[in-house]
Amino acid sequence: MSGLFGSEWETLGSAAIRKPKTQLSFTTSMGRTMHIELETPANTLSICRDASQVVIAGRTLFKIFCIEDEEFVERANLRVGKKNLNYSSVDVVWHPNDDNVLASAATNSAVITWNLGKASGFKQDHVFNDHRRTVNKVCFHPRDDMLLSGSQDGLMKIFDLRKKEATITFNGQSESVRDVQFMQFQYFSFAAAFENGNIQLWDIRRADKFYQQFTAHNGPAFSLDGHPEERQWLATAGRDKSIKIWDLQFKPVLMHTVQTIAPVTRVKWRPQRKFHISSCSLVIDHTINVWDIRRPYIPFATFEEHKDVATGVVWRHDPHIFLSASKDCTLYQHVFRDAKRPGDKANPVGVDINIFGDVCHAASDNLGGGSHNRGTTASYSSTKVPSFFRKNPEPEEQTRAVCSNVYVFTNKQSRFSDWFCLSAMKYKLSDRPFGELCDHNAQVAENFGRHQICQSWKMLKLLSAPDVSSSTSATFFAIPTTSDKEDKAVTGTEVPLMRNESRTDTNMGDSTGLTSENEESETSDVEHDRAMTSLASNIASHSVFFGDGEDDLLDMYRYDYSGNETTEDWHLPTEAFQPRHEIRDRSPSPDQLQQVRPESPSSCNDSETLSIHNQFLSIPTSDNINPMPMSAVISTSLQPWQFKQIIRDMLHFYAEQGDVQMTVSALIVLGDRIRNLIDETTQELWFMSYIELLCRFQLWVVATEIIKLSNHHAVGALNQASTTIHTNCNKCNKSLITSGWVCNRCQSITNTCSICHHVVKGLYVWCQGCSHGGHLHHIEEWLKSSSWCPAGCGHKCEYS
Amino acid sequence: MFVTKSISAEHKDLIHDVAYDFHGRRMATCSSDQSVQVWDIGEDSEWHCTANWRTHSGSVWRVTWAHPEFGQVLATCSFDRTAAVWEEVVGESNPNHRGQNHWVKRTQLVDSRTSVTDVKFAPKHLGRNNIILRIELCVVDIAVRLQNEISCKMNCSCISWNPSRVHPAMISVGSDDPSTTGGGKVQVYEYSDGNRKWNKVETLMTVTEAVHDVAFAPNLGRSYHLLAVASKDVRIIMLKPLRRAQSTVGQHSGVTRFEVRQPAQFDEHNSQVWRVNWNITGTILASSGDDGCVRLWKANYLDNWKCIGVLKADGTHHGPGHSGRSHSSHVVGTSATSGASSSSSGAAAGNSSQSSTRVRFTVSPVTDIRVDQKYSVFF
Repeated sequence: MSGLFGSEWETLGSAAIRKPKTQLSFTTSMGRTMHIELETPANTLSICRDASQVVIAGRTLFKIFCIEDEEFVERANLRVGKKNLNYSSVDVVWHPNDDNVLASAATNSAVITWNLGKASGFKQDHVFNDHRRTVNKVCFHPRDDMLLSGSQDGLMKIFDLRKKEATITFNGQSESVRDVQFMQFQYFSFAAAFENGNIQLWDIRRADKFYQQFTAHNGPAFSLDGHPEERQWLATAGRDKSIKIWDLQFKPVLMHTVQTIAPVTRVKWRPQRKFHISSCSLVIDHTINVWDIRRPYIPFATFEEHKDVATGVVWRHDPHIFLSASKDCTLYQHVFRDAKRPGDKANPVGVDINIFGDVCHAASDNLGGGSHNRGTTASYSSTKVPSFFRKNPEPEEQTRAVCSNVYVFTNKQSRFSDWFCLSAMKYKLSDRPFGELCDHNAQVAENFGRHQICQSWKMLKLLSAPDVSSSTSATFFAIPTTSDKEDKAVTGTEVPLMRNESRTDTNMGDSTGLTSENEESETSDVEHDRAMTSLASNIASHSVFFGDGEDDLLDMYRYDYSGNETTEDWHLPTEAFQPRHEIRDRSPSPDQLQQVRPESPSSCNDSETLSIHNQFLSIPTSDNINPMPMSAVISTSLQPWQFKQIIRDMLHFYAEQGDVQMTVSALIVLGDRIRNLIDETTQELWFMSYIELLCRFQLWVVATEIIKLSNHHAVGALNQASTTIHTNCNKCNKSLITSGWVCNRCQSITNTCSICHHVVKGLYVWCQGCSHGGHLHHIEEWLKSSSWCPAGCGHKCEYS
Repeated sequence: MFVTKSISAEHKDLIHDVAYDFHGRRMATCSSDQSVQVWDIGEDSEWHCTANWRTHSGSVWRVTWAHPEFGQVLATCSFDRTAAVWEEVVGESNPNHRGQNHWVKRTQLVDSRTSVTDVKFAPKHLGRNNIILRIELCVVDIAVRLQNEISCKMNCSCISWNPSRVHPAMISVGSDDPSTTGGGKVQVYEYSDGNRKWNKVETLMTVTEAVHDVAFAPNLGRSYHLLAVASKDVRIIMLKPLRRAQSTVGQHSGVTRFEVRQPAQFDEHNSQVWRVNWNITGTILASSGDDGCVRLWKANYLDNWKCIGVLKADGTHHGPGHSGRSHSSHVVGTSATSGASSSSSGAAAGNSSQSSTRVRFTVSPVTDIRVDQKYSVFF
């Protein structure tokens, strides 16, 4: 041993002199991105001392190319003669100092040296058959004629190239060796990476045992590379998709971790760039990435030329040019200026606005005005980051790290949400006469300083409130436009009916209605004198509709609503002599129409309604009782048409402005006055948009009310869908599978009231515990006196 | 006015996206440090980080919330070529993060062969029927299925769903291909129920620079769609569907034609614009660019878009007077009164100096020549 090293000390001196030359020789070279197609996939490559030639090797490939400025020129093919497994290389390496010497590691466990200086075509020099299994890696000593190999059999050997024999064998007593490399700055040391993720450091003077071992990776460690300048830095990479940078000074300290997206097969430091390291992947990722280890999340540069995974990377002693071999059968020279910079594509800002108008802005602290590096230091001093960040990062390192500052700009003034939510809650859309609703809503808008909305409500009242004069009230029933047939279909059927009832006994209807229907007392709060008649009809309609309206909740609402509509139509002051016309006009088919209406309100025959209108129109001309002259009739009959157009335009205007609240509110208040002028899909869009807005502000009650008042089948269906309540049969206590109120098991109806034993229609309240319940008011009464279940099941019911 | 609050997010690299949830009370941030943080607004109306977990093995480009009807669900997409869907699990304690909510990966989409640049949930109304989803969320197991694929033949950087309910499902795709010769960088696709595929209905040929973000405005009953495009400048594109010819009997047979207008174009950022976002009503647009500012834009009643505020990255903010130049395509007189403005918050827009000259954007040469690749969006 001592003789071996004695001789090598001499060569060390000469190598040290030669080395700077090699670096100088290529700093001026400017290559370009170029490639050459190979016949077969390449496993590995290596360049010669002055980086002018490259050897590339694979299973069936062993060639040397000269690297010209514009292209690769094949210089030699080492696979000559008989097919031989020795040619099938896993790794190849060029002698660092002698351009004629190559070494390769073969799949058949041989380590072969090649002498390019041979005169014949057969350049193979010597074959070492010392390993028992595939040799994964060979490495020349940087200054000496020593060759180091690492094999699948778990052994590492040093071959003396002059003696042509394996002089030292190292047994890692671990798993297969994936990579070996002499430490550049320590003459006697080398590092080895093992399949179990361990890294071992050896001194070649002590063949019995490594002097250092640490576990670097979870799973196999595939590659390692000592830093070309930092004496103690070692990069390792493994199947756990990470590249780790270790400081080996005393004991190995993890300095940086680069997390990649795929298992890493090769890492190589970028020359003259202290913090840059290149990597290529085993699978998935075909790109070659160059990382800045200080920013371990985004590759500093990527090279995407390869169509399959790259298997080897070698720098041409120049930080801007490197070569790569790939499984896609190409040899590439990459130039840094053609790299993609993912960091540039990574957007440095994020912004979002929430429903309250608050703006959240996350921006890189590098951006304009971002003089805050407080965020940077804060993140490094965080206890969550690995220990290496805590140990005083170098100043340079600190500046490199990019961080974002997050600011939330809270909108404190004139928030959309403020007036929107409050308006939504305060608007009154039904249960009052039309004019009152408009006034109320105008007031609400006024309170929020939204004068335009306020004005719009007021004008709505003026334009469509029919109680401006008696003449307009007449015209309301006599609109001869063809576009609102449906309108007339509904009003034409209901209004005469109401009139009929209230006309037959004018004040009697009032009094009886008020006395008999106490539950409608909230309606009697309306104390407009001129609304008295409408009140009567309102109550009348309520009683009528509640009478037969217990079958379906939605239908009930619809009735309710239409009843109110007629109220509003009807509460206009009318002349005493008008009823005669009404009675006569109504005669065609009020009953028939009323039968038709509940099923399909719009199914009225057009011709029929038109005929009604014709009769309406004919009234003033044929009857002298009406004081209006003919001209007045014509003018008034035209006016509403204009108004409706204006109102329609107004609704559309607000919708286009994004104020769907106004649109929908006005649409509901106007109801059938305007409905038929706007097509169904548009209405649905408006309703849906408004409902979604309300949901975003969590105004569920208002949203439900809008759905209820929408009178639109698709919107109304919202309340019927998407809510599921699981109930149990109150007899057998098994869960009800089918929808409806019949228990499959005991074949009985389950929604009988526990108190009156009638089937409950309408609101049914039940105990979640025992499934018994009944009419809301019955249960309420019962619970006043007892907390036990009225069915006598002994359950202490809880109604929350 | 705006009150500025700084949040110390413990992200160790750039934050690429922030997203508020449906109700505006939660916020998610994603970063290159491969993690996502979820923030909740507390009783003290401060933002508290309630979850912070590693989501990907690469930069997380985007984070987006699903409609709350599907639960508390986030989707992320990453440089590591995957997109993932996460659901918050309530009640399960996680020993690693005490006091933090637990997010579970429900699925991962691994079909992409390149970095996944954007992920967006389909609007809720599409989420229930299983035809046209980007990511379909089944009610039971929140499984995500690969539904459909559009080959855009360009480098896609961003997508946006049209949130409109009544129109056919529509998405717009932007490309950040740096070459300016490749034609329009924003494409609009519409789903056809008839032949069950996505048809390209429009390519915005006017946008030739790399596009970083596109955003459809909430529709709210408008008859047209507003699309904001973040490129070298901010553009607002109006897409007005033209009425189908009456002759097409099948409603979904034909392809919708659009009248395309560009009501506004701003280059006040003087740099790349990275993100655009609409407010809830689609009346205010926020754009953010390399100048570190958020700029808020609003249209007045003449559809003349104006800057109504500048929010600086250092937490300060300015009124609109700060940058009064408007580059609207409309020439508008200076007699604008703010009275007709529907929202009082935007009323201040009127007093900025109204030079209506249209500034043309000059194309700067792109230094890098990059290899063009064919990408596709996965659905």
